[in-house]
Amino acid sequence: MKANFALAAPGAQGKKAAAYILTALLVGVLIVIALSGHASLGWRLALAILVAAVVASYAMPTFGKYLRKRIYWYTGTFFVALALNFLLPRLIPGNPVDIILQDVLAGITDSSAATALKNQYIAQLGLDKSILEQFFRYTGNLFKGELGMSLYLAQPVAKILASKIPWSVAIMLPSILVGWLAGNLLGAYAAYKKGIYEKVIFPVSLFLSSIPSFIFSMLMLLWLGVSWGWFPVLGGFDAQIISKQSGVYYMSLLSHWALPFISQTLIVIGGQAIGMRSMALYELNVDYVLFAKLQGIRDRKVTRYVFRNAMLPQVSGLALSLGGMVAGSTLIEIVFSYPGLGQQLMMAIRNVDYPLISGCTLVISITMLVANLLIDIIYGLIDPRVRTAQAEEG
Amino acid sequence: MSDTMLMVNDLKTYYRTRLKENVYAVDGVSFGLERGKVLGIAGESGCGKSTLSLSLMGFYFPPLHFGSGSILLNGNDIMKLPYETLRKDYLGKQIAYIPQAAMNALNPTRRIRRYVVDVLTEHDTGLDEKAMLNLAREKLSFLNLPDRVLDAYPGELSGGMKQRTVIALSTLLNPSVLIADEPSSALDVSSQKVVMEMLRKMLRESQVQSMIFITHELPLLRHVADHIAVMYAGEFVEWGTAEQVIFDPIHPYSHALMGSIIVPEEGMKSHSLSCIPGAPPNLKNVPKGCRFAERCTYITPECRAENQVMTTLPDGRQYRCRFSQEALRDMYAKEVPANA
Ligand SMILES: Nc1ncnc2c1ncn2[C@@H]1O[C@H](COP(=O)(O)OP(=O)(O)OP(=O)(O)O)[C@@H](O)[C@H]1O
Ligand SMILES: [Mg+2]
Repeated sequence: MKANFALAAPGAQGKKAAAYILTALLVGVLIVIALSGHASLGWRLALAILVAAVVASYAMPTFGKYLRKRIYWYTGTFFVALALNFLLPRLIPGNPVDIILQDVLAGITDSSAATALKNQYIAQLGLDKSILEQFFRYTGNLFKGELGMSLYLAQPVAKILASKIPWSVAIMLPSILVGWLAGNLLGAYAAYKKGIYEKVIFPVSLFLSSIPSFIFSMLMLLWLGVSWGWFPVLGGFDAQIISKQSGVYYMSLLSHWALPFISQTLIVIGGQAIGMRSMALYELNVDYVLFAKLQGIRDRKVTRYVFRNAMLPQVSGLALSLGGMVAGSTLIEIVFSYPGLGQQLMMAIRNVDYPLISGCTLVISITMLVANLLIDIIYGLIDPRVRTAQAEEG
Repeated sequence: MSDTMLMVNDLKTYYRTRLKENVYAVDGVSFGLERGKVLGIAGESGCGKSTLSLSLMGFYFPPLHFGSGSILLNGNDIMKLPYETLRKDYLGKQIAYIPQAAMNALNPTRRIRRYVVDVLTEHDTGLDEKAMLNLAREKLSFLNLPDRVLDAYPGELSGGMKQRTVIALSTLLNPSVLIADEPSSALDVSSQKVVMEMLRKMLRESQVQSMIFITHELPLLRHVADHIAVMYAGEFVEWGTAEQVIFDPIHPYSHALMGSIIVPEEGMKSHSLSCIPGAPPNLKNVPKGCRFAERCTYITPECRAENQVMTTLPDGRQYRCRFSQEALRDMYAKEVPANA
């Protein structure tokens, strides 16, 4: 989670220079691809935004430098992520063809026929080519905006992703927003009011944030779903319903959504409240509070200083969890058998479905990187401490 | 025009810990401070110097609590004022405070100019924003700081500049009393001298009417203070002019302290005060008798039996010991000089 800060602090001067050269090379490649006429609209758009941002950054002295540095770093990171997206699925033991042909091969007794069939599939899927060649084909297609076909489901990866992402977002977006807001208010309240509030809020939040989230979700599932039967426990809607326009269908969507939403929200509340409480407690005891109070500044104003400062790290927490939204929903989706991207990724891994795994992780990497970049930009704008640190570093 | 700026009478304050124990960190302190004077307070770490300076502000919040006594600022007992009056008309206006960790005394996310406005709007100065900033500029240039400090965030200032900025901010309204709690402890020696010099200059030019200067580096006090109070375990054990206390201490604790710094400052700069063997009593539960008794070379059974009161000599000096000053001086004279 702290990766962005590690990126911000490259060690030696030489390492920095090497990173710049590498990034420049990669950006060059990107531009060549974009101009070659094969790139998809999305890529051209992304590239245009990046170039515009870099050009615009020259208009702003300190912040511009900071901004450029961020952009270079994230572009570099993106290419590394791209390579890993390609490579990691291929490190999974097992072979996609074996899995696809599992049932067919079981019926064939002639081993040479089986081998022939397998080889035919392997050639068809392009898996007989060298890994480097596969990689270039993968990236080439990627820049044309093609994510390939799922090996196992025999559907375009893009289509699968498009149908799964809304489910994940439907759980995560509201629970992150609601949980973040509620958690911070509770945490701030606990820190400020102390006494009974703290005695209740703090241990409950501590419990929520320290129990592994999948265990907590399973407990929720067990109590609210199975034992008390308040909510359905499986899937995204009732499969018996035929018409997808009916009110019954929407009610079913809602009732299936409620339990994972509630579990996830509680988990977020716990973590945020703990974080906010300790930030606020820390800030309440720092020296500037004492000095401001003894200068006669009214309590309300000093409290505002404190919460603004305590809030800043929390804002980055929010952006981070929004960026990690898709990845973060995996556990919840598995526990509640919710048909989102996380569950799909899980299945893709089980089926050694290279293009689908790469597609899922690509979505995750991009959202993560964009969120991190946005945090850094927003942070650099609103927190002078970060700005100064950046100016000194550069 | 009264020339007494601050009159403190038998002030007792204590911390209430989470375990509901009381730490009596200031236990019956009395003194007066005149216009144009600097009172230096010295004592080893933990004796209650910071607590005393905080207590003098008259504004208490947990864990610090007011016990008893009075604090007269320009003749008004600030402990009897409603909080709002104290905040508006006294804190930061008549009595100002520079905290021990002045480096971190500024809100890191607020530009100095906005902080200046925040402070001045609290005190019914009748100034508009422009006038407020002009006032701040004057103070800054008085302390040799450039105007651009106003537009800076605290993080953009160097340590020494931050220090001076804090001084400028705390003296915006020309306070009657400025309490500086080790304002220079984080600085190098030459910056320390600069800070001292500036504080003296502020006093000379009546930007500040009087000052309390706290430190555990006694050599510093020699050049800054008019009077020195030596504090031990929540009490003053000696009070006198700087010359008297440094060159002719009466109380055995002061004597032991000064004995360690008589050597010229060069090469002995940061001689620690705690080189007297033993430890001060726990302030949660102060034993009966003289608080210094257990560490005192001249201890007698009576020292443990009865509490010591301040003795005031005809020339105004005060000390807290059952022996007469002549008896003490005799004992010191007989002692073989430690550094001989
Ligand atoms: N918040 C607190 N709660 C309880 N006890 C405290 C608190 N702050 C200080 N004390 C105690 O009060 C006593 C006086 O502390 P104080 O900070 O005034 O010492 P000091 O003389 O300023 O020391 P130093 O030279 O190290 O700054 C110490 O025994 C300390 O342990
Ligand atoms: Mg102190």
